[in-house]
Amino acid sequence: MFETMKSILAKVKADYADIRHETKTETRISFSGNEVTEIGTNTTDGYVLRILNKGGYSSIAFTDSAAHEKVIQTAQENTHLMASLASKPVSLAKAEVVRDTYLPKLTEDPRAIAVDEKLELTRKYNALVLKNEKIATTNINYLELSRDKHFMNTEGSEIREELITTRMSGLITSREGSLIQNVRIGIGGSNGFSILRNREDHFENRTRIAVELLRAQPTKGGRYNVILNQSLGGVFAHEAFGHFSEADIIEDNPSMRQKMRIGAKLGNDILNITDDPTPPDQLGHYRYDDEGVAATGTPLLKNGTLVGRLHSRRTAAAFEESLNGHCIAEDYRYAPIIRMGTIFIEPGQDTFEDLLEKLGNGYYILNAKGGQTSGENFTFGAQYGYVVKNGKIGELVRDINISGNLYSTLKNIAAIGDDLKLNQVGGCGKGQSNIRSCHGAPHILVNNVVIGGA
Amino acid sequence: MEKLTELAKKHSDQFELYTLHQTQNTIRLEDSKLKDIQSSIQSGVSIRIIKDNRLGFAYTKKLQKPEELMQNALNSLKGGVEARYKFPHTEGIPQLNTYDRAIDEATNTAIVEEGRRICSILEEKTKAQVNIYAGTTTGEMQIRNSSNSSLSSKTSYYTITPYIIYPGSATGIHRSLFSKTFQKADDSYLNTLAELYNRGKQELNIAGGKMKGLFMPEAMYTLIWRLQSATNGESLYHKQSPLADKSGKRIFDERLTISDNALDDSKPGARAFDDEGTACQHLPIIKKGVLMNYYYDLYYASKMHAEPTGHGFKTSLWPGDMISMKPTPTLQHVTIEPGEKEFSQLIRNMDRGIIVCGALGAHSGNIPNGDFSIGLSPGLYVEKGEIIGRIKDAMVAGNIYETMQQVIDIENMVHPASTGYYPAILFDNVSVATKN
Repeated sequence: MFETMKSILAKVKADYADIRHETKTETRISFSGNEVTEIGTNTTDGYVLRILNKGGYSSIAFTDSAAHEKVIQTAQENTHLMASLASKPVSLAKAEVVRDTYLPKLTEDPRAIAVDEKLELTRKYNALVLKNEKIATTNINYLELSRDKHFMNTEGSEIREELITTRMSGLITSREGSLIQNVRIGIGGSNGFSILRNREDHFENRTRIAVELLRAQPTKGGRYNVILNQSLGGVFAHEAFGHFSEADIIEDNPSMRQKMRIGAKLGNDILNITDDPTPPDQLGHYRYDDEGVAATGTPLLKNGTLVGRLHSRRTAAAFEESLNGHCIAEDYRYAPIIRMGTIFIEPGQDTFEDLLEKLGNGYYILNAKGGQTSGENFTFGAQYGYVVKNGKIGELVRDINISGNLYSTLKNIAAIGDDLKLNQVGGCGKGQSNIRSCHGAPHILVNNVVIGGA
Repeated sequence: MEKLTELAKKHSDQFELYTLHQTQNTIRLEDSKLKDIQSSIQSGVSIRIIKDNRLGFAYTKKLQKPEELMQNALNSLKGGVEARYKFPHTEGIPQLNTYDRAIDEATNTAIVEEGRRICSILEEKTKAQVNIYAGTTTGEMQIRNSSNSSLSSKTSYYTITPYIIYPGSATGIHRSLFSKTFQKADDSYLNTLAELYNRGKQELNIAGGKMKGLFMPEAMYTLIWRLQSATNGESLYHKQSPLADKSGKRIFDERLTISDNALDDSKPGARAFDDEGTACQHLPIIKKGVLMNYYYDLYYASKMHAEPTGHGFKTSLWPGDMISMKPTPTLQHVTIEPGEKEFSQLIRNMDRGIIVCGALGAHSGNIPNGDFSIGLSPGLYVEKGEIIGRIKDAMVAGNIYETMQQVIDIENMVHPASTGYYPAILFDNVSVATKN
């Protein structure tokens, strides 16, 4: 593969160029209710070429290597346009030349397991849910995604890395009369198939919640103190804070850039947030990003003070900050963009019982149901929650969407638990989709949260 | 392709070959500066086969090994995906005007220059940060099947969306323009955006509660999404629709008429056939508040013993790879009929209320049930018929089957927006939660 890539790169006239080829193999199995609606394994591939010349920087994705001359011409025209019209020339931070192959260690390589066995495991979990008569339907999907990536650049780097993601995710829907409720399921990871085995508890627990939600009361809109569980705390770290640690998001937004300056005191002293894709055996793991830069653990918030941010080679040069290997593409259809790898709130000292006592009255809300940010403002949904009175967990509640302002919420994180947990199923939709987006947190107590109610 | 056709004929009872070639250019200006130009040239082939009432599906980006693609499709037959339908024989469908040759002359240079012109005008009028997202897409799609359908569609598409950003935010007042080729934005469009932005400059803290809510076209997808979920053949089959027994009954205010018309080629993206080769149609969903129709692809039409409506499209919630998707029931050409009021009159009719200019988190919440609970992104505040500022940290919540019964007035024109063409609609008794 490197030979084909090298021959394309050789035809590019530029100060710098890189090319990435990916072979992507997907196995999908889907159930809707009792029925299999999809099953199959398919392989596709394609290239992304990036060119930097005279300060102009552009990219092109393509699937047919035979058409590379037209591809190079288009990319060079775009690069020329960028050089002539962009307000400042682009430069790239200096990166090490790397020649390496990295194949992740897997506990049971999913590619070696017959599709029939995958189908039967998915069928078993699906049936476990459907045997409850209050469950109207399910939508449960097995996905196995293998990306075999080859990267090379004109500086001499040549890297091959495989990323293999295995997961089972979907939705359980309960119904009584005209009331419909749903709960998400999600198990998986980046370290092999075995993480999907013996997970009956997960499906039984989700089923129970989906059924109990039919009797739950809606929340009332207003301002509350809340405990977020690990899933929601992780979504907060990712959605509300993490995206503004991505240099490309704030680069051309003067007001956000001013607020997100290194050294700014943004949160309480107890708050530490880090992004670190390097530990293996967690969803967000990778060794090199899609610019060929080695990933490094990056503290972002230390004792409430902003100490770092996530970079590509372009933004690291523009901000005059260090590279940390966070420029990632969904697949061969896209040029890489700056993304979180594994972002998490570092654990504190409080037990969950301590947090309940500190909360007193409010809500304990659990499990993410989608989130979105717009500048300082964020909104995300919780799958369910409980009323907390005098530090005791009470009745179940539903229809919980919370909204807030990043900066005031960072200061309103009043206590942090000692029970960090990372998610197993990811999905970040910043321009492209990143199913290995990993986040986590311990339980956290947040004051003055707006709940939309029903 | 001929080899693949031969193999499909040999190994299956029915087959469908889908090919797509697409070229895209995307251009981004942030804070009026050219930030990025990206291009993409992608091709692909997918095949569906039916044998013994079972479906096989496979796809590839390069058809170099037809045998391998066919084998993948045959392998997937073993999963037992049911397919008790026939690929359609479609002919005599309207020839739609979906491609404008002028798109070939729409250079990235011209689009960048237009973006800079818009930034300059809006910056001068608002003194604010302006971002632009623009791009062109051209595509050629073909479907051939064993029922002797041979269909093709060539499309061109230009879009530009200026955002006038409120300080501290990553969004602001925005409105998209869609067309079949590059065209300059007119002054009245830019003036409307700038005026709306300027009126919302002051940041306000207001008390929450029930009040009038004006949903702009840019936020309307929040409500339409719930309706799409409830009228989808898939939701009906899986008993997830609260509208399963409501056909012919009035569910919304009688001034609301909502239809899906893929055949309207005055707009870009018109389609004479869907991604399964079924002829498209003008399908009323809601007529004067009454539920008229559900919509189906081939699979769910067969399950529900209904006729396919030409709504089997390869789409997903998030950007996906069309070649790798199977068609599912989707409304892609939704329009809400305009009402009678000028936009300015809608605002004058508000004693106290909010304008929902954009939605944060529309995908959260209990969509099948019709519930929504969204952050305002942004939200403007109106008192005594005047916009007096914008609201921070507020949410709007409700259920479409209550909210869409409470129409006060509908704007007299539609605007292109996410998922369709919508007027602004003023609703009564919208629940607003704030920090106060």
